[in-house]
Amino acid sequence: MTLNPISAPVDSASEFHKIQSRPASIEVKNISVAFKTPKGTFTAIQDIDLTIQKGEIVALIGHSGCGKSTLMGTISGMTQPTSGTVMANGNLVKGPGPDRGIVFQNYSLLPWLSVYQNIYEAVDSVFKGKTSAEKREITEENLKMVNLWPHKDKLPGQLSGGMKQRVAIARAFAINPSILLLDEPFGALDALTKGSMHIELLKLWNLDNRNKTIVMVTHDIEEAIFLSDRVVVMNNGPAATIKEIVDVRLPRPRNKKDIVHDPAYMEIHDRLMGLLFDKFSIEDD
Amino acid sequence: MKKLLNIQTYLPLLFGIGSAVILIGAWWGISLLTNREIPSPLMTWSVFNEMLATPFYDYGPNDKGIGNQLISSLIRVFSGFGLGSLVAIPLGLLIGSSKTAFRLINPIIQILRPVSPLAWFPLGLLAFKAAEGATIFIIFVTSVWPTLINTAFGVASIPQDHKNVAKAYGFSRWKYIIKVIIPFALPHIITGLRLSIGVAWMVIVAGEMLSGGVGIGFFVWDSWNALSLEKILSAILIIGTVGLLLDKGFDWLQKRFAFA
Repeated sequence: MTLNPISAPVDSASEFHKIQSRPASIEVKNISVAFKTPKGTFTAIQDIDLTIQKGEIVALIGHSGCGKSTLMGTISGMTQPTSGTVMANGNLVKGPGPDRGIVFQNYSLLPWLSVYQNIYEAVDSVFKGKTSAEKREITEENLKMVNLWPHKDKLPGQLSGGMKQRVAIARAFAINPSILLLDEPFGALDALTKGSMHIELLKLWNLDNRNKTIVMVTHDIEEAIFLSDRVVVMNNGPAATIKEIVDVRLPRPRNKKDIVHDPAYMEIHDRLMGLLFDKFSIEDD
Repeated sequence: MKKLLNIQTYLPLLFGIGSAVILIGAWWGISLLTNREIPSPLMTWSVFNEMLATPFYDYGPNDKGIGNQLISSLIRVFSGFGLGSLVAIPLGLLIGSSKTAFRLINPIIQILRPVSPLAWFPLGLLAFKAAEGATIFIIFVTSVWPTLINTAFGVASIPQDHKNVAKAYGFSRWKYIIKVIIPFALPHIITGLRLSIGVAWMVIVAGEMLSGGVGIGFFVWDSWNALSLEKILSAILIIGTVGLLLDKGFDWLQKRFAFA
């Protein structure tokens, strides 16, 4: 099954073409990841190939436990692949690096550090050559960018989920990575907060002239379409592979309210629903 | 105003009075049953007051006020406890963060921990050639274990999330220790210190009975030789109160350093 060509608006096709002609930002080559468990070897993902261009936003989508976070882990360097290689900006990924900013599923802020310190420590760790005045400036700038400057002295425990996630995003942006990796970043947020976080994320991406490559893991179809240029649909694990890659040729900037009425949006939505839920259709009747 | 009229406001006080009544009543009963061989609360109270009237008198090496006895015991406890903590905390950080260190050192801890600290007293005497050093030494040994075990446990239970932050943002080893390991383990370390000081305060009494000299434990033993049970009972109350205060102090620290 292939995706039917979508009658996209005029300018978006050229915009989309522009992305495709950019240099590769991430190259995943024939990656497999297996974990040793007491019950034997568990293969999470198998033989995955994926190339992501610079400035592209790509969503990895699939059911829980399908290995999308594992795939993400091999890009971030937090997970070592059993076989295959990952290249980021032309360099072989051997571990986490400052060229890739990570936003974790559960914010992962250090609870004993203030909002400010949480960001400062990351900045301090990455920009070893800068003076502390410069590092403080970067921290301040990024906190202001996500409108959390008034809350800089609070501890993470005093913040709402949305605010925590903004701190985590500010931290990832603060180290100015060319690649941003978001692992189910908005999964724990309520629908309203989630919506405004999407817009906020795109705003930050625009501020940087859409130069940052963003890869996000999600299981929210609407979120995937609204944010990304391509949606990578994964099969169910174990030994998960890529089922299909769906292009999202919708013009940017996208409008949250209007986009849902766009026939192209609806077509992509149906396509993704079909890919994700076909195996449950028997139980439906 | 409403708060003053509410029974809830007075409940802690009422319960406090209740437990005092139970303690004094039971004590009185035992005193009567033993035909006053165990002194009654009232008899003890007058001796207690006498002791507290001149707590710091000093009539030579074998006759000093209760305040002096208490202070020398506390100095010993805090010296031993301080030295023990200086060893236990870094060692705990090490064995909590390294599996190899844990596997090498844990068997040693397991075999030495159940040993009564008093068994170390002769070795202390041998090493320091003095009862004073030996007493501090047994307090040192006593205070090591709970702090060591709690510190190691705290470090070993750092959630993967926190480790991931350090890994993802390339924290140096030093930054990882200062900004992640120690802040996370701190509540556990304080719990360990709290347990250590509690046990140390118990052991000092026995230790000083062996070592002699000045100290609350020796005071109890000396009072027994002088057949002053009132003094022994007074000392028990004082030891209990000081122990409670030490515990409260560490409880306060624990709350002070709890995060989130």
